[in-house]
Amino acid sequence: MPLLDFLNFYLVPGIVLGSIYAVGAIGITLVFGILRFAHFAHGDMATLGAFIALALVAGGMDPWTALPVAMAATAVVAIGVDKAFYDYLKARPKIVTVMASLGVALMLRSVVQVVWGVDPRTYATGIVRPDSYFGILLRPRELYTLASVVLIVVGLALFLRHSKWGKAMRAMSDNPDLARLSGVDNRKVTMLTWAIVGALCAASGFMLGINTELHSMMGWQLLLPMFAAAIVGGVGRVEGAVLGGLVVGIAEELSIFILPAQYKAATAFALLLLILLVRPRGLLNGKVL
Amino acid sequence: MPLLDMKDVRGGYGDADILQGVSITVAEREIVVIVGPNGAGKSTAMKAVFGLLNVRGGAIVFDGEDITGWAPNRIVQRGVCYVPQVDNVFREMTVHENFEMGAFLRGGDLSAAYDRVYGLFPDLKAKRRNLAGDLSGGQRQMVAMGRALMLDPKLLLLDEPTAGLSPKYMEQIFQITRDVRDAGVSILLVEQHAKQALAFCDRGYVLATGANRHEGTGQALLADREVAEMFLGG
Repeated sequence: MPLLDFLNFYLVPGIVLGSIYAVGAIGITLVFGILRFAHFAHGDMATLGAFIALALVAGGMDPWTALPVAMAATAVVAIGVDKAFYDYLKARPKIVTVMASLGVALMLRSVVQVVWGVDPRTYATGIVRPDSYFGILLRPRELYTLASVVLIVVGLALFLRHSKWGKAMRAMSDNPDLARLSGVDNRKVTMLTWAIVGALCAASGFMLGINTELHSMMGWQLLLPMFAAAIVGGVGRVEGAVLGGLVVGIAEELSIFILPAQYKAATAFALLLLILLVRPRGLLNGKVL
Repeated sequence: MPLLDMKDVRGGYGDADILQGVSITVAEREIVVIVGPNGAGKSTAMKAVFGLLNVRGGAIVFDGEDITGWAPNRIVQRGVCYVPQVDNVFREMTVHENFEMGAFLRGGDLSAAYDRVYGLFPDLKAKRRNLAGDLSGGQRQMVAMGRALMLDPKLLLLDEPTAGLSPKYMEQIFQITRDVRDAGVSILLVEQHAKQALAFCDRGYVLATGANRHEGTGQALLADREVAEMFLGG
């Protein structure tokens, strides 16, 4: 197979899909690192964010203008969910919150189904032809997706590295007791974390929706590859989530070489098992699970 | 009037009282050490000062103000900083970021505070961009003390700062503790290495089963036969 065909039909779609997984996986890794539980409502929160963007598009907004608005709206929803459910359970064993997040997942999905129905939807209809960049074929939406992911990842990395509250988030993830002794307000960090996680959820849902289609189960189907990406990269590490997302996305696209296409989704699971077997702390040495 | 005056304090983490009446005072510019056998309540007495304990009796007065029952973040703002025995640095953050987190409540211009801390720990200046988790045990302990000193405290609480360190580092930590004292900070510390600690401190307390047993200058306690037999093992 010529190199260009390999790039265009396998690698580029893999990178686009992987970038979407990466954005979701960053959120999972932040919740796990700072709030110390596995957030099962992550996928359905992404679905909700995608449908909020759809409502804005239906109201006449351009999809890529709707994205930041939907991110902000979902950030508010995420803070609300924390205040309404998880906050009451913080003194209990973490498994209680994990199970509660499963309940929240079902609730969010039902809201989407009640409001928008169960049929597949799209942001824009019609076929878009890709443009050629030195032989590499990219549709505008793929280009915008990659650019948005780079913007989000770089922006978040700068925030965590250089801002006062970004450092407080890292401190809370690193050593919560010492962070509290240093005067970091746990409630503020929790709220900030949920705002960021909600925004990331909306971004991943929107980008999956614009590159494929929207339906009420889309987020639930994202959950396994996103968790796989977070764990493969090393839980608690933002750069690990990005790496893990790309590995899982590319592996899923390449799996077509050796497996029938229907088994694509099993690739993430196989990768997850493999990494837990040979390198349980992930590629970049995350927290011990 | 002493800077810290802890009078007949009783309390514990849960319902049981670990401290059965502990009284400790620390004067300005004084190094006071708490020694005693395992389970004597040494660390617990220190945590009581920092508001990490349910205090059910007695009173803790700091700098003329009754701080009994205050939350740690309020006590920090009055000028008491605490260095826990373990997990006392942010391992995944750089040395400099650790210091920055120490001054989280303060903000504003920190350059004077950085100068002071790097002046006390010149070895760390070259390692300011290293992750604290990558440093040796002794240097990590310095990062932990530096973090606590960023808020310019009047009283520094050190929980077994030399635990697990080689004799060379132990000497260094004691020397730095003196330097910190000479810079105008009072220090209360808990020590396992009773002999060495009593030799270097200004005053010491020997606790046993959650209560005061002996007190006096370090030299006097070292010379006390009963203390030597009970806790120092000859």
